[in-house]
Formats: sequence, structure tokens, C-alpha cells
Amino acid sequence: MLKCKINGQDVEVAEGSSIIEAFKATGQDIAHYCWHPGLSVAGVCRLCMVEIEGNPRLQIACNTQVQEGMVINNNSDKIKDAVKWGLDFHLINHPLDCPICAQAGECQLQIQYMKFGQYDPEMAERKVKKRKVVDLGPKIVLDTERCILCSRCVRFTDEVSKTNELGIFNRGDHSEIGTVDDRPLDNPYSVNTVDICPVGALTSREFRFQQRVWYLKNETTVCNGCSTGCSTKVYFNEEGMWRVKPDHNDDVNGYWMCDEGRGTPRFVNKDSRLLSAWNGQKDEGQDLEAGAAAKAVGQTLKKVVAEQGSDKVAFVVTGQYTDQENRAFLSLAKDLGVKVYHWVNNPEKMDEFDGLLIRGDKNPNTYGLKEAMKEVGVGSPWSELESSVSDLEYVVVAGPENHFAYSDLTDKVDLFSKANHQVWFVAGDHDVLRAASNKVSLIPTKTYVEKDGTYKNFEGREQRIRRVMTLVPGALSLTEASKLMSGQELLVDGNVSESYRKTNFFSSNERGYL
Amino acid sequence: MEVKILSEHYHKDDFQGLTGYKANGGYEMLKKAFTMKPQEIIDLVKAAGLRGRGGAGFPTGVKWGFLPDNGEPRYLLCNADEGEPGTFKDREMMERAPHQLVEGMIISAFAIGSKKSYIYIRGEYDDSINSCRQAIKEAYDAGLLGKNIMGSGFDHDMDVYCGAGAYICGEETGMISSLEGKKGQPKLKPPFPAVQGYLGKPTIVNNVETLASVIYILRDGVDAYRKYGTEKSPGTKLFSVSGNVVKPGNYEVPLGYPLKDLIFDLCGGLKPGRKLKAVIPGGSSAPILTAEEAMVATLDYENLAQHGSMLGSGAVMVIDDSNCMVDLLGVTLHFYHHESCGQCTPCREGTGWLDKIVHSILDGKGRLQDIDLMDEVAGHMMGRTICALSDAAAMPTLSFLKKFRDEFEFYVREGRSKVKGQAHAQM
Ligand SMILES: Cc1cc2nc3c(=O)[nH]c(=O)nc-3n(C[C@H](O)[C@H](O)[C@H](O)COP(=O)(O)O)c2cc1C
Ligand code: SF4
Ligand code: SF4
Ligand code: SF4
Ligand code: FES
Repeated sequence: MLKCKINGQDVEVAEGSSIIEAFKATGQDIAHYCWHPGLSVAGVCRLCMVEIEGNPRLQIACNTQVQEGMVINNNSDKIKDAVKWGLDFHLINHPLDCPICAQAGECQLQIQYMKFGQYDPEMAERKVKKRKVVDLGPKIVLDTERCILCSRCVRFTDEVSKTNELGIFNRGDHSEIGTVDDRPLDNPYSVNTVDICPVGALTSREFRFQQRVWYLKNETTVCNGCSTGCSTKVYFNEEGMWRVKPDHNDDVNGYWMCDEGRGTPRFVNKDSRLLSAWNGQKDEGQDLEAGAAAKAVGQTLKKVVAEQGSDKVAFVVTGQYTDQENRAFLSLAKDLGVKVYHWVNNPEKMDEFDGLLIRGDKNPNTYGLKEAMKEVGVGSPWSELESSVSDLEYVVVAGPENHFAYSDLTDKVDLFSKANHQVWFVAGDHDVLRAASNKVSLIPTKTYVEKDGTYKNFEGREQRIRRVMTLVPGALSLTEASKLMSGQELLVDGNVSESYRKTNFFSSNERGYL
Repeated sequence: MEVKILSEHYHKDDFQGLTGYKANGGYEMLKKAFTMKPQEIIDLVKAAGLRGRGGAGFPTGVKWGFLPDNGEPRYLLCNADEGEPGTFKDREMMERAPHQLVEGMIISAFAIGSKKSYIYIRGEYDDSINSCRQAIKEAYDAGLLGKNIMGSGFDHDMDVYCGAGAYICGEETGMISSLEGKKGQPKLKPPFPAVQGYLGKPTIVNNVETLASVIYILRDGVDAYRKYGTEKSPGTKLFSVSGNVVKPGNYEVPLGYPLKDLIFDLCGGLKPGRKLKAVIPGGSSAPILTAEEAMVATLDYENLAQHGSMLGSGAVMVIDDSNCMVDLLGVTLHFYHHESCGQCTPCREGTGWLDKIVHSILDGKGRLQDIDLMDEVAGHMMGRTICALSDAAAMPTLSFLKKFRDEFEFYVREGRSKVKGQAHAQM
């Protein structure tokens, strides 16, 4: 360890640390655009200037290693002047179209300007004109005028995704981000470049112009897109979830996440959801309250088991639920004495891994499910279900929340249609379910942002997810559903409740209240 | 008086070829080098005090000493990009005496233990490229390159690499990037090239003239070499004189030579009726000297530093009273704006900004505050960037504004040049 002093504060850092890392360790502020902890050092923005005692020249903190006893500051007038000018150089050719810029509100130029700038511009010359609204790929739009050429995005595609699409073309103040021969920037991790772009140069096609970021709240949780379980931040308002970004977690995902995991809003948000329970075929159908429907299913199952035997009912589970839900649901199966079958959505791909983050197992909690099945002592081979399904009275399915990962959904609905009834606990509203040829009951469940619990990722790492919002009032977690089916009452009902209101930021007077 | 050591045989037509070169003592010093230990050569170069002729004047022997002793392959790169405006000395040497460069490089490579070297020549230098290629071919044919050179057991390969004429590829790490097949832009230091250079391996970059000088240090020995020049600037140096003199061209004089004598004796002075206004002593990046300063300055690293300027690449640009300083700065800044690689924000944006301000003044749209603004912008481009191009743009700006402020103020007030019938400078 090395000792040094940062703005008068003593710190110890590991050998080989850069000065900017020492600043981060003390939590002190240091302006920087090009440095990113997950990328190599570029040293081009020249904003992270520091003064080192005994050195007459200012140094950049990102490419200078701490040496024993260094005395470093970045609060002298000399540094303030350097940073102010450093910022000014970034701004002279900047279009300043903040009012129509999707980055406004979380733009590092705006943030630094409020800290170090607040002066009148001195640039009286014509600004450099560059390409705007460049179609960089299916997911990303580029504005080269807003780009500050920090090269983060280039380093990301070189060093992390290793796809090398991006480069800086031309020279001097005509430099521009681009791709070779205008080939698209399209890789499974491409949207990370939007996250690390400090300005509004790279914007996500999905998110741009959707919401002003200062009206969104965010919460950390775990992605349920695959068995890696990246730490994420979900951004939401009362209308729903708008975007997902990675949250730094050295143990799992570092600073990144995949593009697919950002798509969770498409199965979480209200427009794709099953809003109330549904029971019956075509014209007989009617909307039901989820809790009551679950209770009714529980009573029916008990009756069938008592009258016709436990082999007339089968439970089907998926790796989509939390440990707590799995335990409740499996225990219910055990109590009823019925068999449990694990629906593996893409058996051939389950063990695939792309070397960075993406895993073939598109379930967040397969590990936890298997563990729970072992502990509870249930689980029978899938082939057995296939051969016996036509003898069954009821198939009760804990269906997938992320149906995009379940391309075999229709096949399975067809399979379960051979039984007399199928009961689905499911988050999304799917036509294939409503169109099934036997008797179908659908009971809406909560998605991963509407409940608390834990997932165990591919290596068994237990991670917490948390309730961030309620999108479908009345939807049940599998735990709640299991309790109701076994005849217990819920302490807090599934309706939009007082407890939700209390944690709802939108009932506070904070800035950003709509 | 000129002292011709490097340029002694330039006038001989056959000096370009191997036979003529050998007839004038060529490759004798290579033979001698092989009788010495590499470290002895390094020590000799150190003792002779040879300073890099590419611009920075860094002691060559000291630079060679930075190579780590880690058994990795190491590279010698000859910087023949010669991009500094006003400089044309390397070109003349490559065209007239390419073997002098090749021999100097083999000796230097032997001294630092490098098995592979490249001559990085700017793309516009067709003749230099051809003559160097020809010389290398002749050297291979004569067993002066390749395996077991002259039976010494030392192997060395050499190649020419053509740049595309970017000034920034003359900066040593920019050159390395270019040579690696990447966009020619400088790399962050540390690590320095001597530790991690071409392909990540230890690399020495030296100017054409620096490498050729090594031959004559070996030939004449330290004392004879130091007979010329000053204590801190030993030896002779090639100066490329351009501008308003009667006889522009390359002149080899001992360092410490009076600038006045170079202009008025060797170069035949100014055209009749003209008055000396200013001199840029070391390429366009060097701060400008007023006529008074030029009359007393001597051409060595320390004296020019005392005058707030630098010896740089040894390109002396003589400016008489028919030139407008605003116009001249305009041309200079256009160059740096065009050549900035664009990585570092202060350089990328600052060079463009300065260029635009000075051209606003030239267009008659200047504001009085523009002069101070340029001064501030340039001041904040100094010492803040990866390479010295930013400083190279700022230094002339600051010195022009300081020493010829009246011309800038006149231009802003009147919307025209203070110099009547001024000639437009070209670069
Ligand atoms: C912008 C810039 C351009 C340069 N151009 C050249 C050049 O054209 N030729 C050259 O020899 N050195 C040039 N240099 C200096 C080189 O970086 C390097 O210092 C030199 O080649 C080292 O050789 P020397 O020690 O023999 O002088 C340039 C430096 C800068 C910052
Ligand atoms: S990038 Fe930042 S400063 Fe630029 S227009 Fe967008 S919000 Fe404004
Ligand atoms: S697009 Fe964004 S991340 Fe890429 S260089 Fe420009 S500012 Fe940096
Ligand atoms: S100082 Fe200028 S030329 Fe040099 S690396 Fe930076 S931007 Fe490029
Ligand atoms: S953060 Fe150090 S130069 Fe950009």
C-alpha cells in the first residue's frame, strides 16, 4: 500500500493505482470524461488535471501513478482555471441542443458546467458542422456534433465486446466517431456504449425522446434475463419501466450488461400483461379477481386429489421464480402429493456461455429451482409428463415471466391441452393460452420488479431482487398464490396497497413529481 | 564559415551510390564499430554530447541508455518524416547521401542491439524513398545488411516505410502508431518508447541527421567532435534556411554559430532595400525572434532558449519587412489546425479556434478582445496534451502576439494590414 495526500486528506491506495483512483477512494470530486474504470486509459479529455507537489507541470490524474508520499491537489486556482478551460474547449464546437437532447439531465457537460463553468461563451466563430442523427445500428443513434471524442465507445468495442466496430475518423476538429464503411454497430453488448457516453452523442433508439430522465426514479435490482444475474438499475415512473442500465458489480457483471437484458420492460410493462384472472373458454370467459381465482383453484385441486387421486394433477415449474416462491409452490405440491416437472425451455443451449456475460440458460433462477426441488424432495422426469398428460385432470403451470425466452410456449400449451384443464400462473397475456383447446385458467403473477426475493445465479450466488413498483394491481407472487391455494389468507392483499403507496416516490414532494 | 562534416560530399554525384560512398570512406566506420563493444559506442555518443536533431535536442546517448535490459527484441526507427515547416535537411541527405544514413543506422542498431530498423519517410518525398530503398538494396547485396554483417556475427534488417505526409506522424509515438498500421496518432506517455514502443517492444526513435552524426563521432572521436559547437551543444548541425534571403538552402555550421552571420554571410543577406523584421530559428513551432534578437542570437540550444525560443529542427525562416505578421500567423495556424490529430481536447479545439480567430481578423472582422482571447486560448493549450503539437501551435501564437502586437491591433482597428503591399505567405 502507498500513502498519499489528496486535497489534504490522507489515503492509502494499492501499488500501481492511478491518482484518479485515489480520488475515487477518498470520494473527492475530480472532473473527467475519458477515464472509465472498466476501460483502458486514453488520457485525451485533459480534464482530470492535478497539481503534484514538487512538479511544476500539471499532470493528468488518470495516467499518473501514485507514488509514496505524493501530495496532490485539485482545488487550487490553477487547477480550477485549467478545468474551466478544459471544459470550454469541449464546448466551443458543441451544438448545445440540450432542449432536444435525450441526455439532458444526466449529461456530463451540463454537470461540469454547473460546477466549473457558468461563464458566458467567448467563442465568436462559426462552429464545426458535423453529421447529426446518424443511424449507427438497430439500437443506437449517433449525433457526431455532440460527441466530445472521449473514445470511451471505441475502447468499449475494442476491449470489452471485442467487436471493433467503432473508430474515430478524420483529424483535428473534424474527427468523427463512425464505423468502417458505415457497417452497423450491432453486437449483443452495444447499448453499453450509450451508458458510458458522457454526453448525448450516443442515444438508445428505444429510450430516446421517451422520457426526461429527471422525471424517472431508479432502483437497483438483478436482471432476470439469464442465469448470469447482472446487477442492474431499473428506471421507472408511475407509467412503468423505461429503461435498464447495468449497476457496477465486480463479482458478476463489472460495469456492463447485455442488450437483451435491457428489454425487460417489454414483458414487464402493463401493455403486455395479464391484468386480471381469466377462467373459461372463449365465450364463457369472464374476468376474475386473481386472489379469488387462486383460492378457487386450490379448492378444486384438493377435491380432485381427494376424489380421483394425486396422479390426476401435475405441477410444472420454470426457473423464472424466486427461491421463496419456489419453496412455497413446491411445498404445496408436496402437501398435495402431486408430481412436479421442470420445464426447461431450451435444453440444448442451457450450458452455453459467450465468455463475457450472456448465458444460454435464459432463466434467472434455474440453480435455485433445482436446489429447492432437491430440498423439498419433488421432481420427476419430463418424459413421464409427456406420456401421462392425457390422463391428467389438471396441469398447474408456474409459467414464464419472460416469454421471449420461451419459444416453445405454443408447443407446451398444446401438450398441456391434452389434459382436461390447464391452470397458468403467468405475467403476460398470451393469445395462445386463451386459444387452448381444453379448459384454461389464467392467474396474473408479478414480475421481478414487483416483488422481493432472491435468485441464485449460475454459480449459486444468491442475489436480492426488490419490489420497485406495482404495475398490475392484484397480480400475485407465486408465494401469495401458493398460500391462497392452500387455503391460507394473505396478510397484505395483492391489491394496490398502502404498503406500496408508502414506498412510491411519486407521492413525495421531491423534485420530479409529475 | 561552413564546416562540412555531414554534407562534405553532397556535391559529388556518385556519393549517392555504394561505390562512390565507399570511395569516400563509406562503411569504414561500420567496420570499426564491429571492433568495439556496443556499450563503448553508446558511451562514446554520450561523451560526445550528441543531441537529437529532430527537434527536442534530447541527448542521444542518454536516450539509448533508457533501453531496458530485458532480452526483448528492440527496434530502431529513423524519423524521416520531416514535417516541421521550413525543414528540408533530411531530404537532402537522403537524396544525396542515403548510405550515410544507412551506415549511421547500422552502427546505431549495433550499439543498441537492434536486429530490425525502419526508415519512416513522409509520403511526398518520392526521391528520398527511392534513394533510401536503392541504398538498402545495395547494402544487402554487399553484405552490409542481413545476416552476419561483415563477418561480425551481427544480423540486421532494414526497411523503408512510407507515411502519408501527416505532420503528426513525425512525433515519435505517432510514427510508431502509423508504423503499426494504426491511425497515426501519438500515444500516452508513460510508457515511453524506449520501454514500450513499436509493437510494445523497446524502441529508439532518432532523426536522420542524429543517426548520420554517429558515424563521424566514431571517425573523429569525442575531442575532435567537440571541437565544434559549444559545451552544451557540441558538433555541427544542418540548418535549412528559407524565406527572404538571397541564397536559401541547407547550411552546415558549428552549433553556436551567430544567426546574423548565417543570414548575412552565408545566405547573402536580404534582397536590396529590405529590412529584417523577424526570424523563426527552429521551424514554425519555435517562438519567433525580433530582428534585434536575431542579430545577437547564436544557433545553439542554450542561447536560443535564453531568447525564449528554441533550436528545434534547425529550420531558419527569415522574414523581412514586406511580410505581414498577422498573415504569417494565419498561415501557421492553418497548418496546425489541419495537422492536429484531434485526440486531446485542448489541441483539437484550440488549434481550430485560434485558426478561426486569426482568420476573422484577416477578414476584417476582428474585435480588439480577440488579441487577448488568442493569448488566453494559446496559453491554455500549453503543456496540457499528449504530444507537443499543441505547444507547437501555441508558442508561435504567443510570441507573435507579444512581439508584434501592434500589427495585430492595427489589423483589427483598420481591417487591413499594417504592411503596405504585403506578400501573402505560403506554406
Ligand atoms: C508534432 C511533432 C512533429 C515532429 N516531427 C518530427 C519530424 O518530422 N522529424 C523528426 O525527426 N522529429 C520530429 N519530431 C520530434 C520527434 O518526436 C522525436 O523527438 C525525434 O524524432 C527524436 O529524434 P532525435 O532524438 O534524434 O531528435 C516531432 C515532434 C512533434 C511533437
Ligand atoms: S450532450 Fe449534453 S450539453 Fe450537449 S446537447 Fe446534449 S445535454 Fe446538452
Ligand atoms: S460518442 Fe460518446 S462515448 Fe463515443 S467518443 Fe463520442 S462522446 Fe465519447
Ligand atoms: S497534442 Fe494534438 S496532435 Fe498531439 S496527440 Fe494531442 S491532439 Fe494529437
Ligand atoms: S480523464 Fe484523464 S485525461 Fe480524460
